[in-house]
Amino acid sequence: MAFNFNWSPLTADAGFYKRARDLLTTALNKSPKPPIIVDDIIVTEFNLGSVPPDLEILEIGDLAEDRFRGIFKMCYSGDAFLTLKTRVQANPLNTYLSAKPSFTSPQPLAAASSLTIPLQITLSEIKLSAFIILVFSKQKGLTIVFRNDPLESLKVSSTFDSIQFVRDYLQRTIEGKLRDLMMDELPAIIHRLSLQLWCPDQIVKEDEEPKEADEHGVNPLATPPQDPVDLHGHVLDPAAISELSLDGGPEAQLLFSQKTLLRLSDITNAQVTSSLDTSAPKDVLFRAWAGPDKVDATNTPPLSTPNLVRSSSYASAHTYTFSDGGSQDHGSLPSRPSMVHLNSATAGLSLGAGRHSKAGRKKKTRVVNLRRKAETEVNSEQGDESSEIASTAPPMSEPVMPHPILEVPEEEPVSSRVRFSRSSDLQQPRRSSMREPSKNTDVPIPSVPINGIAPASQPTVQSSEKQAITSPAPIADAIPTDSKAEWRRSRPMSDTSSVILEQAWIMKMAGEIARRVYDEKNRNPSFWDDRDDAPPPAYEAR
Amino acid sequence: MREFMHHITNAFYGATGWNDDNTYKELNATARELIDFPVPRGLRLTLSSLATPHFATSYQLGSVGIVDGSISYLHSTVPLTDIAAQSDRIPLPALLRSYRRLHDLGSRESSQRQPGKDGTTTEPPSHGSVSAACWSLGKNGSSLLYGRLYLPQSLLEGLVVRRFTPALQVQLSAVSERSLRNGGTLLGLVQYDKGKYGVEGLASTDGGLLGIRGLYNFGGDCSSAAMPPASITNSAQNNGNVQLGGERERIYGRFSAGGEVYYGTLNKSGGMSLGARFATLPAHRGTPLTATLTINPLMGNINATYAVLAKDYCSLATRMEFNVYSYESEWAVGMELWSNRRPAGFLLGALPSNQPERDPEPPRRNERSFQAKMEWRLDDPKPEPKAPKTEATLAATENMEEYRGVLKARLDQNLRVGLLWEGRVKSLIFSLGTGVDLRKLGEPFRSLGLEVQYSS
Repeated sequence: MAFNFNWSPLTADAGFYKRARDLLTTALNKSPKPPIIVDDIIVTEFNLGSVPPDLEILEIGDLAEDRFRGIFKMCYSGDAFLTLKTRVQANPLNTYLSAKPSFTSPQPLAAASSLTIPLQITLSEIKLSAFIILVFSKQKGLTIVFRNDPLESLKVSSTFDSIQFVRDYLQRTIEGKLRDLMMDELPAIIHRLSLQLWCPDQIVKEDEEPKEADEHGVNPLATPPQDPVDLHGHVLDPAAISELSLDGGPEAQLLFSQKTLLRLSDITNAQVTSSLDTSAPKDVLFRAWAGPDKVDATNTPPLSTPNLVRSSSYASAHTYTFSDGGSQDHGSLPSRPSMVHLNSATAGLSLGAGRHSKAGRKKKTRVVNLRRKAETEVNSEQGDESSEIASTAPPMSEPVMPHPILEVPEEEPVSSRVRFSRSSDLQQPRRSSMREPSKNTDVPIPSVPINGIAPASQPTVQSSEKQAITSPAPIADAIPTDSKAEWRRSRPMSDTSSVILEQAWIMKMAGEIARRVYDEKNRNPSFWDDRDDAPPPAYEAR
Repeated sequence: MREFMHHITNAFYGATGWNDDNTYKELNATARELIDFPVPRGLRLTLSSLATPHFATSYQLGSVGIVDGSISYLHSTVPLTDIAAQSDRIPLPALLRSYRRLHDLGSRESSQRQPGKDGTTTEPPSHGSVSAACWSLGKNGSSLLYGRLYLPQSLLEGLVVRRFTPALQVQLSAVSERSLRNGGTLLGLVQYDKGKYGVEGLASTDGGLLGIRGLYNFGGDCSSAAMPPASITNSAQNNGNVQLGGERERIYGRFSAGGEVYYGTLNKSGGMSLGARFATLPAHRGTPLTATLTINPLMGNINATYAVLAKDYCSLATRMEFNVYSYESEWAVGMELWSNRRPAGFLLGALPSNQPERDPEPPRRNERSFQAKMEWRLDDPKPEPKAPKTEATLAATENMEEYRGVLKARLDQNLRVGLLWEGRVKSLIFSLGTGVDLRKLGEPFRSLGLEVQYSS
């Protein structure tokens, strides 16, 4: 796998600069201008320079033919420059009067006569440093979000450089405007452009999206989950499933109420699209609130599944905690050590699911060719180094958590539903298991999701292996099953069959180990529970 | 077209004997109105009424895409009895005439001057007598209250004018609107008019703007203190009396010079300008003309205008602007053409000069002018010509009363043409205007508008 970022072809195209200039000129003149600017703003010179930006891949969250999500760190201190030309009104009285009602105007005779001065502004020595989150999917287009303020410094030179006051004012104003542009408008512009490029039909459909959102409220228990497994990773038969969903009864209905599901899907979608507003559901405790000592951000494995953890007491049935299973590893939870073992011992495959376990066999080279920095090839191993990648990630305010769509091949609109069917997978065994340990031990709740993870991530592997033999259970009626099957098949087929077998074997072994550890734990709870401290406050049911 | 309320306000100034033109602000009003006349946009209907001599109302309904309107009320402590407010009687030149003749500076004593040359027959007599009566009646001065509410945008305008002494007048105008900063602005204006000079001080809440401007008149009727208040008869007599002596050097015009300074205390910005004007006095027998020159030394702007009342029915104006810093220049010309043809001016084509209606008129006028010329040349003062002359002027005013329409046109350096046709049909005063861009001949009409006004 290789990424090719070419800086020069962009500039080698003869018509590129002219096109870009025209585009910028029209964009700058679109909005109504302040009265001080009396002429059109014309972009006379525009050059991207010869120095490419440094691009560092911090994380690839998702990668497929039609989807990509990653976090980059970009540093730029090149020789790009931009020159604007316009005319400004130099008489302050003239601009003062233009915005005032004529009735109370002092009506000066000639004191407000206009004096227009041509103004040329050159922006150069632009220094950028930004963390960029890039999400691309063929359906939703390209989304770019800057996690921080990208503009480090900028040199503004103008016709009025000799006047200190004017120069400072221009510098200040333009920097502010550019920051706004980068943070707010540029992502929107890029998104719109990408929509035009890849999915022109999406633009028209944008108003229809609310209708789609309504469908999220479907009870996932109504449709049987795909590849159902129990706590230990064994495949369940359909009868057991129906039993499960039945005995879920009103409780499950309560759990998956329409409103809740809508909110959950909002939250997950907010991360998929990197939308800036995250809806805030009520009665939710976030891990981040627990306090800084509990969260070790640098150690957070990014490939983790956000789990829906239901708190211990059914009395407070509406208290959910969102936590990424991986980041719980280093918490002070009682059953943690086992999971840590699991993670490291089984080469992260319990979390990484099919794709990563497959990749774990081979060393893959990731080449980022930025022309000048050809020697900075990023060689990275792929399998269990997810934590390595994460360690390069700078500590961010929010833990980066790709969500289970990674494992689910479906398109965005239906993905949340599929996810819920999966999370129902998690829920069902969890609930059944919960009764068991809670009888003999007072296992705090956070142990539950972790147990759930390992088996839950297995079925995808198993199913992909199983796919050749049995057709998958068609649950997502919105998706044509054949396309899904095709997708599932496409990845195994691309590799040799031996790899598949090996991989499957490893998966199975991992599952076995996980199960044994779990059994061991169940058999000898005191051994596991002697380190039982109080659960972190974030997990305490209130 | 001047709005009805504007007309009433002018009538108030006339009734109280205030010379609104004697300020620096109005230095180049003639050229400005000849060139920068507003062209109506969309459809606009105005219903106005001077219900009592003290109270006037006006309702306006307009439509430029969206329907909007305004309600305005005006109250004056001075009875405006002599004002012709009915739209079928209102003298058109008072509403429509752009060329402004000079008012007499000592008008407070003089009661008689050039009646109806510009059609404002009612104002000049009221100037002296009414104001004198007013001042004799109430010592506390007269005041005018005006309010206007624009409806959909709920913008409120208010104006208070109060005369404290014959020379001192205070104006307070305010606008209240939500979108404005602090919800509105207030402008206070103190005007001091001594005839020979007029000074104004102003303060605005918007940006804390302070300003002062003044106008000083000299030459012509102001220069010689011994000279009696100007009037046609007097000057004519003077003409006749001392023709070859010092009267040869007498200039039948007035020079005015002034300046303005503004400073915004909050935004630390300011502006200033200087100006001068030469305008012929009404006593002048030749073509009345007005020339102004204004200079903005800070911005390097020089502005010169020249306006002339070529004939009674035709006035012309030009304006040149040049900026010495940016070398930008502008020019514009404007024209005003009156007609007394029946359907409000020009529909039947012929210009007033070759109209059959006026046929009885020109001989007299010719005779009059010829006699005047004769007078000019002959030394002996004849008492006889005066009688036919006054008759002639009366006839002329009657004739002018019959003016039914006016065509105004302007052209600037961007080849933009503004056309305005105003007149009276029955008892409606209409104003039809359009803007034409000659550079874009594919779609030349930039705007089109019709304004109809009815008042009772």
